[in-house]
Amino acid sequence: MDVNNTLSGFNSMAATFAADVDHAFWLNFWISIVLGMTVIIPMFYFAWKYRESNVKNEDISNNSHNTPLEIAWTLIPTALMMVLFYYGYTSMKTLRTMPAASESITIKVEGSKWKWKYEYPANKAGHVHKITSVYDKKIGGVKRGLYVPKGQKVILEMTSPINDVIHAYFVPAFRMKEDVIPGRTTKQWFEADKVGEYDVECAEYCGTAHSYMYSKIVVMERADYDKWFESSAKSPFEDASAPALSKGQSLYEDNGCAGCHSIDTDAILVGPSLKGIGAKHDAAYLKDAILTPDKVVPEGFYPGVMPPFALPEADVAELVKYMQSAK
Amino acid sequence: MSKSYFDETHCAIGHPKSTFMQWMLTIDHKRIGLMYAAVMFTFFFVAVATAFVMRLELFAPGAQFIDGDTFNQAFTLHGVIMIFLFIIPGVPAVLGNIVMPLMIGAKDVSFPRLNWFTFWLYILGALVALASLFTDAGFADTGWTFYAPYSLNTGTNVIFTLVAAFILGMASILTGLNFLVTIHRLRAPGMTFWKMPLFVWGIYATAWIQLLATPVVGITLILAIMEKYFGIGIFDPAKGGDPVLFEHLFWIYSHPAVYLMILPAFGIMSEIIPTFSRRTIFGYRSIALSSASIAGVGYLVWGHHLYTSGMADTAKVIFSFLTFFVAIPTGVKFYDWVATMYKGKIILSTPMLWALGTIITFTIGGLTGVTIAMIGVDIHLQDTYYTVAHFHYAMLGGVVFLFFAGLHYWFPLVTGKMYNEKQAKIAFYLQFVGFNLLWFPMFIAGYYGMPRRYFDYLPEFQIYHQFSFFGAVIFITGLTYMFVVFFKGWTKGKPSGTNPWNATTLEWHMPSSPPPLENHSKVPYVDFEPYEYHHGEPVVKFDYETMKRID
Ligand code: HEC
Ligand code: HEM
Ligand SMILES: [Cu+2]
Ligand SMILES: [Cu+2]
Repeated sequence: MDVNNTLSGFNSMAATFAADVDHAFWLNFWISIVLGMTVIIPMFYFAWKYRESNVKNEDISNNSHNTPLEIAWTLIPTALMMVLFYYGYTSMKTLRTMPAASESITIKVEGSKWKWKYEYPANKAGHVHKITSVYDKKIGGVKRGLYVPKGQKVILEMTSPINDVIHAYFVPAFRMKEDVIPGRTTKQWFEADKVGEYDVECAEYCGTAHSYMYSKIVVMERADYDKWFESSAKSPFEDASAPALSKGQSLYEDNGCAGCHSIDTDAILVGPSLKGIGAKHDAAYLKDAILTPDKVVPEGFYPGVMPPFALPEADVAELVKYMQSAK
Repeated sequence: MSKSYFDETHCAIGHPKSTFMQWMLTIDHKRIGLMYAAVMFTFFFVAVATAFVMRLELFAPGAQFIDGDTFNQAFTLHGVIMIFLFIIPGVPAVLGNIVMPLMIGAKDVSFPRLNWFTFWLYILGALVALASLFTDAGFADTGWTFYAPYSLNTGTNVIFTLVAAFILGMASILTGLNFLVTIHRLRAPGMTFWKMPLFVWGIYATAWIQLLATPVVGITLILAIMEKYFGIGIFDPAKGGDPVLFEHLFWIYSHPAVYLMILPAFGIMSEIIPTFSRRTIFGYRSIALSSASIAGVGYLVWGHHLYTSGMADTAKVIFSFLTFFVAIPTGVKFYDWVATMYKGKIILSTPMLWALGTIITFTIGGLTGVTIAMIGVDIHLQDTYYTVAHFHYAMLGGVVFLFFAGLHYWFPLVTGKMYNEKQAKIAFYLQFVGFNLLWFPMFIAGYYGMPRRYFDYLPEFQIYHQFSFFGAVIFITGLTYMFVVFFKGWTKGKPSGTNPWNATTLEWHMPSSPPPLENHSKVPYVDFEPYEYHHGEPVVKFDYETMKRID
């Protein structure tokens, strides 16, 4: 699945408050045009009317005051500015007033270099959906996203790991954005009213792969969403009958390794390609590479880029096995 | 022929014989201004070249010829040079130094040796900043804003850039101090504050900002350095610090800093418009006071950079409200300038073309700033290309354009020569068209959700980046041509005489052109307004030997 076309996603104004924000924007646009023209039109007119060849020296006026005019061009713009302030405020108000938790789904969002993770509340069977969303250069899109039902208030509780950096969760089609800050929890909410897929971009600069820190929000019909939510499938669109991923491969995807390493080609993304790594290094090396990546840094790469992964022993072993199997 | 400041100078130490040492040690405000100009425009071209590399890279989605990390270093280098080495010192260091003392009838600034020291401090800061380009870890990749904790964690050489910004801040404080004292103490007798040319008012308001706001960024940078190397736990959440605190401290300085850039530039506008309208300025006091009030209110609005940073909603509302009050005095100035043209005699020489062009571009820059002062709208537009386009319209289409206007205006004063007007106008039109093509499409891209600091982008945005690229080509062609015209003017231009524009302010009443070492022959007595015209001719005339009025 590709990243949806941003512009059509954008124009669909898919969140309930997007129309408010757009209204404020266009109000500002027209007021700006009017104010701008009150400066630019007289400027052109005077430059033409009083052009050098058209004015006799005796006709030049040295007028330096006109109190009514000066009051007008102070007070009228002031009034217009206050109108804009007001609409800036009201459009913020809807964006920033969180709905009651009882009538919303609260989803935890974690942004880290350079992936987004979502954690849902437990479903009836007690299963907790955890989704990792990373951009895949190969397909030019993100594989999994945030799945939400149409017409449902959703609260995002966002944070970033304490040793990470600031990101921002930006959904152009919803006109919403808020920073995701290590050590803090920030919130935003939305209610999507159109089925579709909408891009999520990281809008706060976060380093090497900042421009690939995409995700997407997939808005679904209620019934489709419920069906998926009560299941334990990774995503509503993944074929349940397809052979299950090996434990190692799903760990590899869930931890966002794929965002930085390609494993079936030689392409260098952020880190080195892991294709055929099993032939070059033994299991102990690979284990260290996951737990303490800065211990050995291959030629041409920098320390501090790959975060240390504090995973359980068994998971590390599965990951190592998976890497060794990638020929 | 009488000697000009090119022939003789005072030096900080001793009386060196060699011309080279005379320049290195000079304490003459005009020479120091020229040296700033030489260094600053060299950096400016480096930053423009870096920008062009970015524009080339952005020509199509996907990686073209540099990788993400290099791109990140490129916009940091571009931003750091443009902000800290070029535009913040910019107009005050070059035109403030050269013209302000002449305008108030002073022989030099109050502390000429300090002025010399400041220049070399600036050079030191610049060298430290650039040194990191040649170290292993490479130039910083933080963006010019150095946000924590990114700047604390990155492997690149941030320390050099932070130290450099600190040193440059010191230089800025000293310049501000020097100019404040000069304007208070060295105005010619009779010249009250209400008789100062408006450029001097702009420099004055700016000097207060330099003096009062810059220490905040100094402290912030020191704290960041202590955090990075000693882990004091103030900004880094992993050590119990708060990264948003860094953002606040950073913008407490950096927002007033944008007024520090624009106020002297507005001062240039206020000189050019009456001169080329051949009449007195409209609303002198409201222009002067609006500079002062912009400088004052400008301190209280930094939070408008943090609408999406997890700041309390109440704080957002207050910051937004105050921000609109900066827009108003700015708007009033524009009405005053346009009203100055009413029933004047408009002479479209090159400086005037630049000034009028800026009325268009800065109006766009200012009004798009109003868009992002609206909280709800900014939540969408923050950190997109809409914001990037806004500040390029304000800084390039505002400050830099007016800087260029000032360079054309005072070129004959500084060099005693005239450039070729026809060619200079061609350079203007190229830059004006190129600039708009370069930045206007970015408003649209930003509105549609193109984030800033993206090295690669979704295919939908390609068309805007391509327009922008061609705009950059035209703009840079015009820019280069402008400097060629200056160069030819200086080497081969016709002598301009002391007052080629028929202007009224004191810097045009020099005994010789270019001016002699210690400026006016005698200190004039100022019992007139700065822009007095009668029937299109300057009212006040001087005998340049005695500086007595002869009109
Ligand atoms: C943020 C990007 C990033 C992520 C996420 C990431 N890596 Fe890395 N990785 C790197 C970089 C950069 C290097 C090279 C520098 C180093 O060794 O620290 C590297 C090195 C490695 C190496 C050593 C390669 C060699 O040739 O020596 C292995 C193995 C590895 N990573 C495995 C993983 C696994 C498994 C994961 C997921 C659990 C992962 N990486 C996640 C960036 C990343
Ligand atoms: C020659 C004309 C110029 C071009 C083509 C240009 C181009 C650019 C580009 C492509 C970016 C990167 C935007 C991004 O990726 O987010 C940028 C950023 C920036 N530019 Fe310019 N620019 C020019 C002139 C200027 C001038 C004159 C100034 C200031 C005086 C300036 C100040 C900045 C700043 C502060 C940034 C932000 C850097 C950062 O994100 O840290 N630019 N410019
Ligand atoms: Cu990012
Ligand atoms: Cu600001």
